[in-house]
Amino acid sequence: MVMTRGRGRGMRGGMMRPMGPGPHFGPKMKQFVPRLPFDMVLCESAFPRVKPAPDESAFTQALLKRNADLSPTPAEQAAVLNLVTKIQAVMDNLIVDPGNFDACQIEEVRQVGSYKKGTMMTGHNVADIVVILKTLPTKEAVEALGKKVCDDLRTQEPQEVLVLTMLPNDRGFEISNSEATVRVLVTTIHQNLRKLDPELHLDQKILQSHLAAIRHSRWFEENAHHSTIKVLIRLLRDLRGRFDGFEPLSPWMLDLLAHYAILNNPSRQALPINSAFRRCLQLLAAGLFLPGSAGISDPCEGGNIRVHTAMTLEQQDLVCLTAQTLLRVLSHGGYKQILGLEGNSSIASEMSVWDGVVVSALEKAYEKPPERPPQDDDTDNMDADDDPMETTDN
Amino acid sequence: MYWSGLSAAANAAAAYQTGQTGYPVGHTPTGTYTTQRAAGSTYDTGYQTAAAAATHSTAAGTYPSAAASATYDYGYGRTTQTAAAAAAAAYDSSKTYYAQPSSATAYTGADTHYHNVFSTDKAAYTNASAYTTTSRQTTPVVTPKASYTGTYPGAAAAAATATYNTSPYAVQTTTANKVCCQGCNYLNQPTNPLPTTALPVYMQQTSQPAATVAAVKTTGNTWQTFKKPGTMQGKAQKPKAPPKPQQLHYCDVCKISCAGPQTYREHLEGQKHKKKEAAAKAGPTPSRHGASLRCELCDVTCTGADAYAAHIRGAKHQKVVKLHQKLGKPIPSTDPVVVGGTTKTSTTTAGAAVGAKTTTSGGTAATTGTLTATDGKKDDLKDDLLDLKEKDVEPVGQEYIEEIKNEEGKVISFNCKLCECRFNDPNAKEMHMKGRRHRLQYKKKVNPELVVEVKPSLRQRKLQEEKLRRQQPGLHQLREEMWRRREEERLLEEEERWYWEERRRYEEECEYLDWCRRYPRGPPGPPPMMPPGMPRPPFMPGMPPMMPMRRPDSSDDRHVLAKHAEIYPKEEELGAIQKIVSNTEKALKMVSDYLAEVDAPKEQQVKPKAKKEVKEEDPKGDDDKKDGEKKEDGPPRMLKGVMRVGILAKGLLLRGDTSVQLVVLCGDKPTRTLLDRVADNLPKQLAVVAPEDKYEIQRVVEEAALVVQNIGEQRISVNVTLTSPIMREQLLHDGDSQVTAAKDPPDVLDKQKCLDALAALRHAKWFQARANGLQSCVMVIRILRDLCQRVPTWGPLNSWAMELMCEKVIASAGQHLSPGDALRRVFEALASGLLLPGSPGLLDPCEKDPIDAASPLSAQEREDITASAQHALRLIAFRQIHKVLGMDPIPPPKFQRGGRFTRKRRRDNSTGEGNDSEGELDGGDGKKDKKEDGEDSKMDMDKETK
Repeated sequence: MVMTRGRGRGMRGGMMRPMGPGPHFGPKMKQFVPRLPFDMVLCESAFPRVKPAPDESAFTQALLKRNADLSPTPAEQAAVLNLVTKIQAVMDNLIVDPGNFDACQIEEVRQVGSYKKGTMMTGHNVADIVVILKTLPTKEAVEALGKKVCDDLRTQEPQEVLVLTMLPNDRGFEISNSEATVRVLVTTIHQNLRKLDPELHLDQKILQSHLAAIRHSRWFEENAHHSTIKVLIRLLRDLRGRFDGFEPLSPWMLDLLAHYAILNNPSRQALPINSAFRRCLQLLAAGLFLPGSAGISDPCEGGNIRVHTAMTLEQQDLVCLTAQTLLRVLSHGGYKQILGLEGNSSIASEMSVWDGVVVSALEKAYEKPPERPPQDDDTDNMDADDDPMETTDN
Repeated sequence: MYWSGLSAAANAAAAYQTGQTGYPVGHTPTGTYTTQRAAGSTYDTGYQTAAAAATHSTAAGTYPSAAASATYDYGYGRTTQTAAAAAAAAYDSSKTYYAQPSSATAYTGADTHYHNVFSTDKAAYTNASAYTTTSRQTTPVVTPKASYTGTYPGAAAAAATATYNTSPYAVQTTTANKVCCQGCNYLNQPTNPLPTTALPVYMQQTSQPAATVAAVKTTGNTWQTFKKPGTMQGKAQKPKAPPKPQQLHYCDVCKISCAGPQTYREHLEGQKHKKKEAAAKAGPTPSRHGASLRCELCDVTCTGADAYAAHIRGAKHQKVVKLHQKLGKPIPSTDPVVVGGTTKTSTTTAGAAVGAKTTTSGGTAATTGTLTATDGKKDDLKDDLLDLKEKDVEPVGQEYIEEIKNEEGKVISFNCKLCECRFNDPNAKEMHMKGRRHRLQYKKKVNPELVVEVKPSLRQRKLQEEKLRRQQPGLHQLREEMWRRREEERLLEEEERWYWEERRRYEEECEYLDWCRRYPRGPPGPPPMMPPGMPRPPFMPGMPPMMPMRRPDSSDDRHVLAKHAEIYPKEEELGAIQKIVSNTEKALKMVSDYLAEVDAPKEQQVKPKAKKEVKEEDPKGDDDKKDGEKKEDGPPRMLKGVMRVGILAKGLLLRGDTSVQLVVLCGDKPTRTLLDRVADNLPKQLAVVAPEDKYEIQRVVEEAALVVQNIGEQRISVNVTLTSPIMREQLLHDGDSQVTAAKDPPDVLDKQKCLDALAALRHAKWFQARANGLQSCVMVIRILRDLCQRVPTWGPLNSWAMELMCEKVIASAGQHLSPGDALRRVFEALASGLLLPGSPGLLDPCEKDPIDAASPLSAQEREDITASAQHALRLIAFRQIHKVLGMDPIPPPKFQRGGRFTRKRRRDNSTGEGNDSEGELDGGDGKKDKKEDGEDSKMDMDKETK
């Protein structure tokens, strides 16, 4: 008996390590089934309306107006399009005929990001292009590529010689003229990812994020082309820009949240923008992006990764409490302040009065764990913090 | 497996024995064979072949002694020359074979030494062409084995090897045996045929490790005995062996001359020489370099044309040339010899390679032979050379070589960032950029598609072999599969055990939850045991299927359960309430009887009024017929029945609750007169029902109720409200209640109170229908009731709205929720603005008109409750549920991360195996214990107070 026990324990311990808490076959004592938080839209039938819904046309108009304000002007769009087209052409040329350029070989060039998705905002004329190299992305190669592209552009358009600039950075390089900027994000093919040397090449995480950006734009094209989604994404990005509490939300999270808020409903028809906007706040307030919630699992990554786990716990708390305060403000009629048409962002952090109702700001709930049990190896902050919470709360 | 190893070892020994006895000279292994060299060599050969056969037999597993005799016959039947070749073959095979155990290397070195001396002595060995033939005769060396192995399927590998030399690729395709294929695949790498004989042995060795290890031991040991005399003799004979015209001590192997016999001896014993010798002897070494150029004269292998040119120019080469000129030895042309590399594996290259190898062992005379052989194939070689040169033309990665300048800006050295090396010479830089190492680094770090010639190192070879083994379903893989399957079985078993454990735990919880839910409104009688941990029926039939629920002991769940246990009323409280309620109910029944009795004769006095009312209403109220019929049936009762409502009916009693509600349904609209009559009569009936208890009765006319209170330490009050369905019917059917109200008796009780009582009845019914059956719902409602009582912010939330909300929120989850999850979901709903303006509201299912059950809440109250819920939600999410519940945090159970251990232990405990108390603190057990303790202490306290 004793022997059996000892063996069982040892084997199990050894076995669990590589497996982790993921959805594997085997004894899963730590099976954590995250649950979606309460979502009024999904259980509408359980909550029949007592009185008809209030008229929200003014709110809707405000949302649309805000969206119009945020959308880039045709001139801006043309400027970006122009630069992107040129750079794309130069890159395509390099693929077809590298000539004597041997610093790197280009596998593929793809447009990604807000430019590709059609969610660009005015005043931010930056388009993203991902360049997949067949060769390994050494810093020298990236710089050489940047120079080469820039030189080719200059030879093509001699009049732009003076305004065209090229700036290499950690992610690749930026080419800008007077009106627009194109960020060229460099990455490499999958097979090369494990050959990377941090000394020599670009950071692996960055390279992977660029590959992910391609998947994201592809997913977006296939799933989220609905215009309401694009409008909502723009509004959410604007919200993120104006309220510090939303800063931890990544563009990809916003994309997914907007898609979820608009399309994930019983009827599978796109919700109107006013309901969807409110729903975003409701979802965040109900803790969609809190530990223990199923959140939104990343459609572009395997293994059911919940997108919000990319935020630290503190950030998750911050996002949630900001949404909670804004939701209350919104329900008391403060949409103009939320949309930035009036007032400032203090409503999220200070007390405000609406129609005689005092809306107070919330405090943080997250506390750093006092001390860790010694057997918990603190590998990396986030996961170590997150995991026990997730796994023991099941 | 172990057994077969033993028997194989025995076989090997047997084979060796036969070989030995079969030998005509009859030398013992330890005998001094040095006296007669030829005999010794033959003996040596014979022995070696026997040993080789032994190894083979070992590998094959079940060999009869015939195998050994066959080998012996072969060794005996040949000439010395071929025998020696066989020896070489056997030696070679055994060498590569023994390459693994480090202890064996010692003897190989010694043996090489011996062979060298021997070959220089004997003229028979100096002929290079003879040598090439002998090495070609490796094929016949193996063929006899092949012939006998034909009868032994296990040794088919040897046959494969035999054919390999002639057409390697054909073998690969034709041989059905997988082992063979493995061997051949593997063998395609080196072009030198010699190691091929060894490899099948190796392959078999890997498949039967135990057996071969045993074999190695036996043979290795016997070899040791040979080695010592062998080397000693060899050395002793060495100096006089070469006939020297001058005082020149020339070492053929190292291509150097020594000043005197002393230095020469020292050189021979030196490390450098031994290394060289070993290197020269080790056939495969040159071929490992892949395509490379060789300077035959100096026995130097260069990796490229540039390196070769550098060597030829170099001082060392010049020195050797001078020396050879001095010695009068022929100097080969400076044309390089291409070794290995070409993947064509044409016979010509193979021959050249063999020739080259022979030079190393054969000595000076052999060199010419090799050269002729090489010259014959000069055209081919030139092509090879061209190939080599072409390959090297393109230097790569110029941009990664930094120029390091001194203060004056003069380039003093170069630094290659890829290879992390420095050089001062620009030529070296050029060389480096063409070099293999640099190209490899470039391939690794910059362009993975750059073609770098393959150079199969030992490790790579092993890796490849490993890969092959994995790809082909060989014995190895079978074994792996078996292990995997075994592991899976083990896991499955464990999982099953888990399932039952889980199930048992769940049942406990379920029983407990179920009991909590049922008990308060259960039939009066002995309540079940409070804690679930005490002896209980092992299995309750009719338990609900339990699978879909999550494990009910997350941290949140444990807190909720603990909190629930804390707020749940004590047994005494429940008992006391139960007692007063049932007494009151009984007494009210008796009052009803009494009133009916009294009313019957006195009908003229009391009844007319009532009757009049009924008659007035009759045409309007259709539903009244039943009542009318009833009245006609029996004695018309004023008090029709008593019902429990509110927390009593719903089972929401909390600790410290002292007020419960009953509703008496009256046949007519309740009047103050009726209330007075009941209040007057009730004490008498109570005295009858419970003579030993004293009760106090108060009339609260404005509440349409009377309050029964016991006199004792625990003051429990029972509010008995009088009402009648007629009150509502009237309201529902005709809008103008004013008209009827005017016709009501003057002292009719407060209408709103009566209606409230009716609503309470409906709520109780709704609750029993909807909330009671819902997992975790009642528990969460109790927790929230406690919260509403405890936290002022939540005070305004009326209990009906709260109950309704909880039920809707939990039911809408569409799945079973554990108590912790259910509570969190309620907070989520509130946090997402369920109570805020603009939300759908809580439609009251117990009212005909759409009414928001939470309508009494003001906007500010809604706002405050929402804000509080929002904070609470985040507290729960961040593991501070205790703050929400107003309790101390429950420490996580020990071994939180590996909760499995504790449960394992518990199971072990249940089998009575050990009594380690560590595991008792956690999870369900902990809770159980705690509750028991709490109960005990409470009881103690009660005893003391009593």
